[in-house]
Amino acid sequence: MQLKPIILLACIYSLSACQPEIAAEELSLGEIDPTTYVAIGTEGTAGYADDALSSTGQVNSFAQILADQFSQITTINFSSPILLGTAGINLDGASKLILGYKTDCKNETSLSPVRLAPQGDISELSTNIFGAIGPFNNMGIPNTRILDMNLSGYGNSANGAGNYNPYYSRIASDEANSSILQDAIGQNPTFYSVQLGDHDLLSYALSGGTSTIPPPANGAAGVGFDGSLNEVVQSLNGIGAKGIIGNIPDITQFPYFTTIPYNGLTLNAEDVVTLNSVFNPLGLTFQEGDNPFTVEDASEPFGVRKLEAGELILLSIPLDSVKCNGMGSIVPIPDKYVLSHNEITILKSKLTEYNSIILSTSQSNNIAHVDVNSFYNSLNSGIVYNGVSMDANFVTGGFFSLDGRNLNPIGQALLANKYIESINDKYNSRIPFADVTKFSGVIFP
Amino acid sequence: MRILLLFTLLLPLTTLSQGFQVNLQGQTQQGMASAGTALIQDASSLFFNPGGASFVNNNEVSIGATMVASKGTFLEHNTFATANTTSPLGTPFTAYGLFQLKDSSKLKLGLAVYTPFGSTVEWEDGWSGRFALTRLQLLSVFFQPTVSYRITDKIGLGAGFVYSYGKVNLQKDIPTLGQNGNYGHVELAGTGHGLGYNVGIYIEPTDYLSIGLTYRSQVNMKLNKGTATFTVPESLEDKFPTGDFNGTLPLPQVVTLGLAVKPNDKLAIALDVNYVGWKAYDTLAFDYVENTESLEDTKSPRNYKNIFVFRLGGQYTLADKLAIRAGIGYGISPVQDGYVTPETPDANRISYTIGLGYKIGYHFAVDASLLYTQIEREDTNLETNLSGTFKVAAFAPGLALTYKF
Repeated sequence: MQLKPIILLACIYSLSACQPEIAAEELSLGEIDPTTYVAIGTEGTAGYADDALSSTGQVNSFAQILADQFSQITTINFSSPILLGTAGINLDGASKLILGYKTDCKNETSLSPVRLAPQGDISELSTNIFGAIGPFNNMGIPNTRILDMNLSGYGNSANGAGNYNPYYSRIASDEANSSILQDAIGQNPTFYSVQLGDHDLLSYALSGGTSTIPPPANGAAGVGFDGSLNEVVQSLNGIGAKGIIGNIPDITQFPYFTTIPYNGLTLNAEDVVTLNSVFNPLGLTFQEGDNPFTVEDASEPFGVRKLEAGELILLSIPLDSVKCNGMGSIVPIPDKYVLSHNEITILKSKLTEYNSIILSTSQSNNIAHVDVNSFYNSLNSGIVYNGVSMDANFVTGGFFSLDGRNLNPIGQALLANKYIESINDKYNSRIPFADVTKFSGVIFP
Repeated sequence: MRILLLFTLLLPLTTLSQGFQVNLQGQTQQGMASAGTALIQDASSLFFNPGGASFVNNNEVSIGATMVASKGTFLEHNTFATANTTSPLGTPFTAYGLFQLKDSSKLKLGLAVYTPFGSTVEWEDGWSGRFALTRLQLLSVFFQPTVSYRITDKIGLGAGFVYSYGKVNLQKDIPTLGQNGNYGHVELAGTGHGLGYNVGIYIEPTDYLSIGLTYRSQVNMKLNKGTATFTVPESLEDKFPTGDFNGTLPLPQVVTLGLAVKPNDKLAIALDVNYVGWKAYDTLAFDYVENTESLEDTKSPRNYKNIFVFRLGGQYTLADKLAIRAGIGYGISPVQDGYVTPETPDANRISYTIGLGYKIGYHFAVDASLLYTQIEREDTNLETNLSGTFKVAAFAPGLALTYKF
């Protein structure tokens, strides 16, 4: 031990011990240059949360957090198309969700996600801000499918639903002609992140499997997953940028799909008699206690069956209809609120295919790969961060936002740290992790 | 017990010994790394070796206090964020009274009041471990009436009954964010009592050599009906009801073997070896009287292990009135890897001490000591996953006044 006599005496004199210091390891960017970091992705990259894009979500996107961590080492400018209003906006025109009190059809009041405002900041989606404050390093565009990454005129409303995205329209360099990838390349990024494919699975799942099946694994850019992804990564690599790509989480584990149990139909003796009198002729029998909900199924002789274990009910189901109007019992749940075994199988096999493409793309292009899927798996089984226990429970879990499928700021910070871990591994850098305890979770009234 | 009220009853961050044990029970011993089980000099032997107290030749009243100034720092792994403690000055104190019933009696009676366990640590606002701990104040005061009997000129036996009074106040944040931007908070506050004993034997086979063996029993501080005060967002108040809690904190047993040699009239060398039963502290449990789905009883593993502490000290008498002292101690940490907490960041440690004794006439003596120690410990806590390096340094100057009659 080194004792420094003079300091020691001074400390004794002042009767307060001198503050000990611990030498920290030196921070380093290693082989990357994040001076111009461009983030490419969908909802998560944009900071979409609580069922809307909002400024609080945007400033807490993992891309923004990554940029903030880079800037602890070097000066970088990372601009995001931050919304001006506080209500947020989704494609239904609604505001973001907050936790509030809701009174249901049985006149019972409980804590529940409610809309912050009667409507979202609709006008912000119809105003292009590229000329005023563009371009934007955060090119995360909610609701973007991978096939649309280099779709020219993706900001042009004339192209119609499916070929047009208002979130991109807002920040496009040229609404009529530009594509997301062009606008990203146009910034000459020195570093990039790619988090794509999650929305392809999500859009199918959010429709209860009623919309188009996610794109094929193989095919040219704009047709197949691998061609579209390669176009993105190779274009960015072509200008000398280094990057990182994240794979896709198993979205069927999100609280949006796991919160409502398949057998949440609790019946008393009287209910059983009523239901059996209706359904016994159709071959369905109910008993006292927990029963599977009924669901529409066109392949059944009478168009109805009981849900099976492992099938998932979406959080979009109108709960008042379930509680008071017999949905799930006398009225089968419409198909769009349910993921059947078949649909779940499609999602899982697409997930496997896409993730193996993402891994091989990272290898063939020699960029960092972050296993976002295993990250979500660890969250789902529960984690403890600095004494805070978190899991994937809806609202109370800690890292999902109130929509049950997008991360809240705590979750985004955890994800950013997973990215940093992979960057540090791949590029021999020592970028500090974000202090997750500095980020907010669900706000309780 | 007026003396008690003079002190602020704050105890320091535990930089002075292992776990939350505070080894500041006598200024003459503190000058010699708190060795003194076999070196009987004054009434503080009531603590160090009740068997040796009967070898003190006077009636004595002695009061002393130590000012502990300690500062800690935490460097978090991965984020490289640092946080400091803002621990207030601690003042562990002692009060000893030793009396013989009549002149030349072999029987001595004494009362010892001391603070053998305690800790005060307060981490800076908003630190990244605040959901594990923001503040801990732990205090225990032992009252020990003691009988010491000199069987022969060479052997003394002593026994003290211990009544302990304790106070705990533990605070941390709760990860429930309110609309005002503040996280929830809980304060667990309560007082407790415990019983124990302190026995010792002192043997002086020759003028040059003495041996001491003591046993201080474990004291279970039982906190009954402490108050858990929750501050949470309004919508969660029924899930975190403010109410009573119970808990027990074991204060470990200590076996000490001491040896002292006096090669000549001026020099004395003392060696103590403590064996401390920290294994008793395996769990920090809080039993909330009213449980809810969000508020369950907690059982935090501590898994302390039994440890040895070695203390070597020397005293040299420069003149009849003046003695100088120095010592060095080495303690093994009871806190195992994976169990380091911000309550008691702890590590194997070396302590350095110096001391001074001065006699003023026949009746009065003044003793002073100074201790310096620091620890550094890197760990990832298995319960909270808090991961980083703790470093704590402390100075502890102390002073005691003794009146002999």
